[in-house]
Amino acid sequence: MPVSVLIVDDSPIARKMMRRSLPPDWDITIQEAVDGAQAIDIYRKGGVELMFLDLTMPNIDGYGVLEILQAEGLNCIVIVVSADVQPQARARVLAMGAIAFIPKPVNPEGLQEVLRQYGILV
Amino acid sequence: MADQQNPQLSGFIVERMELGVFAVDSSFNIVLWNHFMHTHSGKSWESLKGTNLFASFPELPESWLKRKIEHVFALGNYAFTSWEQRAYLFRFKHNRPITGGVDAMLQNCTFLPLRDAKGKVELVVITLQDCTDNALIQQRLAEAITVSDEERRKQQELIVKLEDAKNQLYQSEKLASIGQLAAGVAHEINNPIGFVNSNLGTLERNVTDLMKLMAVFESKETELPKDTQRELSKIKKEIDFEYLKEDLAALISESKEGLSHVRRIVSDLKDFSRVDQSGWQIADLEKCIDTTLNVVSNEIRYKATVVKEYGHPPLVECVPGQINQVLMNLVVNASQAFPERGQITLRTGEEGMYVWIEVEDNGIGIPPENQQRIFEPFFTTKPVGTGTGLGLSVCYNIIRKHEGDLIVRSEVGKGTCFRILLPIFHGKMGESEEIEFANSAPQ
Amino acid sequence: MNKGLSEDQTDALQELANIGMGQAGDSLARIWKEFVHLSIPKIAIVDASRLPALIHGFVGDTAVSASRQAFHGGFRGEVLVVVSAKDRNGLANLMGYEGQLDSVEREEVLLDIVNLLGGACVGGIAQQVNAEIGFSAPSLIGEDIDPLDVIHPDQLAIDKALSLEVCFQVENRSLTAHLVILLPNNEVGALAELLDQFLCTL
Ligand SMILES: Nc1ncnc2c1ncn2[C@@H]1O[C@H](COP(=O)(O)OP(=O)(O)OP(=O)(O)O)[C@@H](O)[C@H]1O
Ligand SMILES: [Mg+2]
Repeated sequence: MPVSVLIVDDSPIARKMMRRSLPPDWDITIQEAVDGAQAIDIYRKGGVELMFLDLTMPNIDGYGVLEILQAEGLNCIVIVVSADVQPQARARVLAMGAIAFIPKPVNPEGLQEVLRQYGILV
Repeated sequence: MADQQNPQLSGFIVERMELGVFAVDSSFNIVLWNHFMHTHSGKSWESLKGTNLFASFPELPESWLKRKIEHVFALGNYAFTSWEQRAYLFRFKHNRPITGGVDAMLQNCTFLPLRDAKGKVELVVITLQDCTDNALIQQRLAEAITVSDEERRKQQELIVKLEDAKNQLYQSEKLASIGQLAAGVAHEINNPIGFVNSNLGTLERNVTDLMKLMAVFESKETELPKDTQRELSKIKKEIDFEYLKEDLAALISESKEGLSHVRRIVSDLKDFSRVDQSGWQIADLEKCIDTTLNVVSNEIRYKATVVKEYGHPPLVECVPGQINQVLMNLVVNASQAFPERGQITLRTGEEGMYVWIEVEDNGIGIPPENQQRIFEPFFTTKPVGTGTGLGLSVCYNIIRKHEGDLIVRSEVGKGTCFRILLPIFHGKMGESEEIEFANSAPQ
Repeated sequence: MNKGLSEDQTDALQELANIGMGQAGDSLARIWKEFVHLSIPKIAIVDASRLPALIHGFVGDTAVSASRQAFHGGFRGEVLVVVSAKDRNGLANLMGYEGQLDSVEREEVLLDIVNLLGGACVGGIAQQVNAEIGFSAPSLIGEDIDPLDVIHPDQLAIDKALSLEVCFQVENRSLTAHLVILLPNNEVGALAELLDQFLCTL
């Protein structure tokens, strides 16, 4: 069964960069959302297992998405990917249920390590 | 990279060029020190190799320089210092005779990141350029610019003064020509009026004599033949002789009255232009107002009712001809501020060491944005050819010369009030000048 | 900037600027051992004639200090940093200055700020598109000047400019800076090409 991945970022380039940093031969299906509102819609349809979430976005930002997910039972793994690398941001998203915080630009090796650590990638 | 092309050549250039070059690692240990640095610091590469920069040069501004270098290590960007803000990094003697108060070599420094293969900054290379010569030239240039700026500023001031003087001149010419005209007219009219007046006197006497004669004739009328009597009474009826007798006296006295009015106008004109008396005098401002009103009465008669509220302030030391000019401008402006008919109120009073005059109208008023500008020369809202816009600027200058003040209060749709404040006394009258009302001069 | 940038290119530039500033903020926080926040820069391409109004709109009716720095290499241009005059002193001790600043030191701080922010932003972008960029020494445009006097468009030889708004905060000291990148008309093509190359690798 392929893993269902959702990439949430308002910048198309950032979404492309995210796609490119995922392990190449990983069995996944990828969906994309251009803002938090769309991300919530897709999440509510069910099936999303792993979400890469940007923080600064129009129509519900990353924090807003995490808040809604938490309220709705947080039924998927969230990794926050942001250029906003301040430690406060990191602490806050981890407290809100994200399993990891990865600074942009995403370093593919670093990402794989996180994925392995949490048993998402074997 | 250059050192891959010809390491010997680049090594030689770094070592020998007229530029200080040195490098430190991330612990601030010296890893490069060229000949220029050696000769100027007096410390050789051999003695400095691997030593801590701040240990070897304790006089360096450590906290600032450390930060600067740390930034380059962390961000991989360039950094700079310029002699204009920081005269030098190292205090080196400069090898020119001391000129312009420079006692040390002025330096521009560049901090360059040197990256390793992974892109991490490994060393920071600092170059140090002697800018003393440039700096001196620049300083001299700056001085020259300051001088020329100052000159330009003075010129600008002069131009403004010139402009002021021009306006003043223009106005005093205008004043002078009005004065000359008035004096000329007064003179020309004076003579004919003189003999009309004396003729009128003679005429009055002659008529009185004639009437005396007529009275005698009339008393003897019944002695004449009936036919003649009938003819006389017919003619008397025809010419309404009874009325004629009365009217003749009235005509003469009315003419005399009219003539004295003309004489008053002529003398006012002379007063107003003060061709006979100029300069500082002790004057009665209420008289000034009356004179001015007489002169402009024709201009304003059909536009405004004039109300006087005189407070009988003390006499004032002033140049009456100029005060008349101010009053005339204010009154004419007021009369031009009515869409239909209005009222002009003239008030006087005393306040401390000042006498004030108010010229108030209930006309269209002046919008706030214009109130700042009405005293500027050539500011006018009147149609081209109607106003020159000089009136109030002249008033202002005159009042300023009197060390007084001219203040406007106005509300659109309600009206405008100009208040003139004049110091009662300011010792402008030289002893050589004639004092007209010497007795009433304030102490 | 007669051709300007395509939507993709602008988006890429925005993302690269985000990343560049984020990295710079991180590096500075490590040195200063204080929490640094660099906001996501807002990028816009504007008519050069609109720059004075833009800068005024950004800072409001307050005096500003401005400095400039030229860069050259993979693409060439000038970066301008405008900060509102009152914000600047709080940063001085982070730059290693001690005690009360005199007027010359204040100037130097201002030059250091343009150097840091310009370097972080333009350098960050350049690094990610694999362009070598060098910088010339920064220079002062003016201190405590009217925001409308920073740029006189009639003196610029360019039609369009890249404007970046960055908010730069260190703990409770905050400095809001406005960066404007001026690219000569013919340099936009060079930048566009570098961005395209970058986009191709995605
Ligand atoms: N009493 C007033 N009511 C309304 N506006 C006035 C009054 N006095 C002056 N102003 C305004 O101030 C302007 C300047 O007045 P000023 O006397 O200097 O010039 P002017 O009357 O336009 O021209 P000039 O006096 O040379 O004929 C006028 O054009 C008018 O707009
Ligand atoms: Mg007038």
